[in-house]
Amino acid sequence: MSAVTANPARRRSPFWRAVISDTGIVALIYVLLYALYAFWQPDALSLYTFTDLVNNSTPLALAAAGETLVVISRGFDLSVAGVVSLTNVLMAVYPLDGPGGALASLLMCCAIGAFVGMINGILVARLGLQTIAATLGTMIICQGLALVILDAPGGMVADFVTYTLTDTLFGVVPIAGLFLVAAVVLWLAFRRTNTGIGLYAIGADEQSARFSGVAVSGVRITAFVGAGILYGVAGFMLSAQTATGNPTAGTPFLMLTFAAVALGGTPLGGGRGSLVGSILGAGTLMLLQKVLFSGGVSSFYTGIFQGVVLVLAIVFGNTVARLLKKDEAR
Amino acid sequence: MSTDETRLAVRIAKIAKSYGPTVALDSVSIDLRPGEVHALLGENGAGKSTLVKILSGVVKPDSGSMSILGSPYRPHGIVDARTQGVATAFQELSLLPNLSIAENLMLPKMPRGMLGLASHRTAMASAGRILMDYGLAHFDPDTPVGVLSLSDRQRLEIVRAFTHAAKLLILDEPTAALADVEWLFELVRRQKSLQTAILYISHRLGEVRTLCSRATILRNGRSIGTVELSGASDANIFEMMVGRSAREIINTPPSAGGVAPVALGVKGLSGGILNDVSFNVRQGEIVGIAALEGQGQRDLFRTLIGLTKTNGGTVEIDGVRAQIASPGAALRFGNGLAYLPEDRKSEGILAGLTTASNMVLPIISRVARGGIVWPAGERRAAHETAAVVDLQQRYLHFKIDELSGGNQQKALLARVIMTGARTLLLFDPTRGVDVGTKQSIYEAIRKFAADGGSVLFYSSELPELVHLAHRCIVLYGGRIFAEYQGDAIDEQTIVGALIGHARGAKTEVAA
Repeated sequence: MSAVTANPARRRSPFWRAVISDTGIVALIYVLLYALYAFWQPDALSLYTFTDLVNNSTPLALAAAGETLVVISRGFDLSVAGVVSLTNVLMAVYPLDGPGGALASLLMCCAIGAFVGMINGILVARLGLQTIAATLGTMIICQGLALVILDAPGGMVADFVTYTLTDTLFGVVPIAGLFLVAAVVLWLAFRRTNTGIGLYAIGADEQSARFSGVAVSGVRITAFVGAGILYGVAGFMLSAQTATGNPTAGTPFLMLTFAAVALGGTPLGGGRGSLVGSILGAGTLMLLQKVLFSGGVSSFYTGIFQGVVLVLAIVFGNTVARLLKKDEAR
Repeated sequence: MSTDETRLAVRIAKIAKSYGPTVALDSVSIDLRPGEVHALLGENGAGKSTLVKILSGVVKPDSGSMSILGSPYRPHGIVDARTQGVATAFQELSLLPNLSIAENLMLPKMPRGMLGLASHRTAMASAGRILMDYGLAHFDPDTPVGVLSLSDRQRLEIVRAFTHAAKLLILDEPTAALADVEWLFELVRRQKSLQTAILYISHRLGEVRTLCSRATILRNGRSIGTVELSGASDANIFEMMVGRSAREIINTPPSAGGVAPVALGVKGLSGGILNDVSFNVRQGEIVGIAALEGQGQRDLFRTLIGLTKTNGGTVEIDGVRAQIASPGAALRFGNGLAYLPEDRKSEGILAGLTTASNMVLPIISRVARGGIVWPAGERRAAHETAAVVDLQQRYLHFKIDELSGGNQQKALLARVIMTGARTLLLFDPTRGVDVGTKQSIYEAIRKFAADGGSVLFYSSELPELVHLAHRCIVLYGGRIFAEYQGDAIDEQTIVGALIGHARGAKTEVAA
């Protein structure tokens, strides 16, 4: 008996694979929305407006980028809200001025995020807690801490941070955008490390990943620590934006990060997806606010539209995926 | 047997392992010589899986010792086991569907390129070399594993184990999904000549006799003994496995034949690669489907149950034209059509629930009192059917994933029987289960048919078709290639038909 079943899945050019990927879909939505924005608001194409948009989107984009790491490994990280709040109040209560102060603040935010991520990782990977339970706990602790440090909105973020990080480099490149570029570059490198590939492996099937030799605990802890650092940077950038402290600053991030991740084409079940998509997803959600505003829609409706776009994008993505699968099965 | 330890490739001495109060391994001792293919035989639940996990470094034994070429072997993880030359092809395949063939072969360490990052090109090249070396040159290393068929995935799992196994190779049911076993046999013989010891676990005695020289039999977590296969009859081995003398293998008594009403009438059915297939299953009849991997059997079952779209043709259940949109609709239509899926790990069991909950799931509303499913009611309902499939009562309150594969399969069969459906569709109902469990499953199926139910089943094992089916339909390239009835069903004839050579007369397809 000899039966050889080959599977010559039809090859597509890299260009088309990129276009029909989940990231391609969200990029397309972004471009369409931007066109609509430019149609209603002629100065949308100006550098000022673009910089403003990037500044607005960066905190959420970084938070969503961090969340993506955990979601790909099949987990949920709620501590994003806590870390953003905590770093924001610290920035407002203990402002450090000058470039050195800004750097020290950034490192402090990263360290706080990394520490919270480490706790999350240990709770999940070593003590076997479910990701939602563990991160719910750390989120509540961080928010409690934020309230202890600053019990009502107030405080003042260092001027250097506020001005420099919302400015442009050489009058062209939004500085906040550089943080996003750095996140993307690090991500593209990370996904080509053993840990990065392991991240996708445990997201698909933890048992199989373990049997394939992936160090499951180590990968999980790395994902949470990386996510925490990105939340810390998100809190840092948010402080630069708002110039003030608010102990509940992180709360809106909780739902929006998941929305950005899902919109960016990372299924919440793990094993697939990309951090780049989540950044674009966050950008889309923020852009949508602007578009609606310029279209004369009351800001009370923003949430409704964001939800609708999210659901439509996922439905669309799933439909494309199904059609492709059918195509390949032939 | 040699007493000189250094001449042994692997020595396993008095290994024991318990999970809480459950003793998985009581005391297991096996010696393997270099270049020996050694069979490990035993019923499901005898402890084979636990032993495999211990040897692979996944689980640590409570006591006992292991050594390789005379030096102690205490792996503290699967990677450590690999570096010491021990690798395993797992029965429940351990591949990642979202990663490429190359990535799966290389895990957990990718070859590095510039900047110390994983190099796609190098990974493709080395994966390509491995695939070439193991006769799978037609695989593209860039393909995601998820699109491969089950048998291709099994090949890949096997190849991956071979690449890491310098001293001990463990093959756990490697042919469960393979249609082409010669490929594997060839690789095993080659590895043998490299002085690797191979532990071969299979329920197929024929295969074991072809490949292995000696066999160790496990029963209730103990190694009962090691025998030279040339000097042991099937009956001897079976007796050692189950601890009682072999039940005689009986063929299914003939059915009422062409007089009973048609329960399932299929006419011109197409869907997926299935092309214009027509046949009937009568009440009280057991019809077997024989086919090599990927000849449309999967599409046939999935079309009947509404999981794959029909491209034409009609299905009649008890003479009534049926348009089935989902397995739930199939259950409710007429006297009901119940389906036992192929892959129990992903399509069958609900891992977190008890065995009883898993069994009563389809009839949950009948079990509920006042809208609530009481555990006692659940067990009462499960009790009766458990006896039919010969599942021990004590397993009912265990979580189903704590059961051995064979017992899970019995529970799933009980589930389809409990639905009350009068027609059962069983896809490879005994895949990867032991001889004893097989007999229990056969008896349950025969009893179901004797009570007037109808059964359509696919099997990857020819003896099963011969023993169980009243009628056997051979699928080839999505079409019915041949059909055999009663005594005309024999292995040689079917083997010919499977690969497209009809030797028996093709009977007229019943209209």
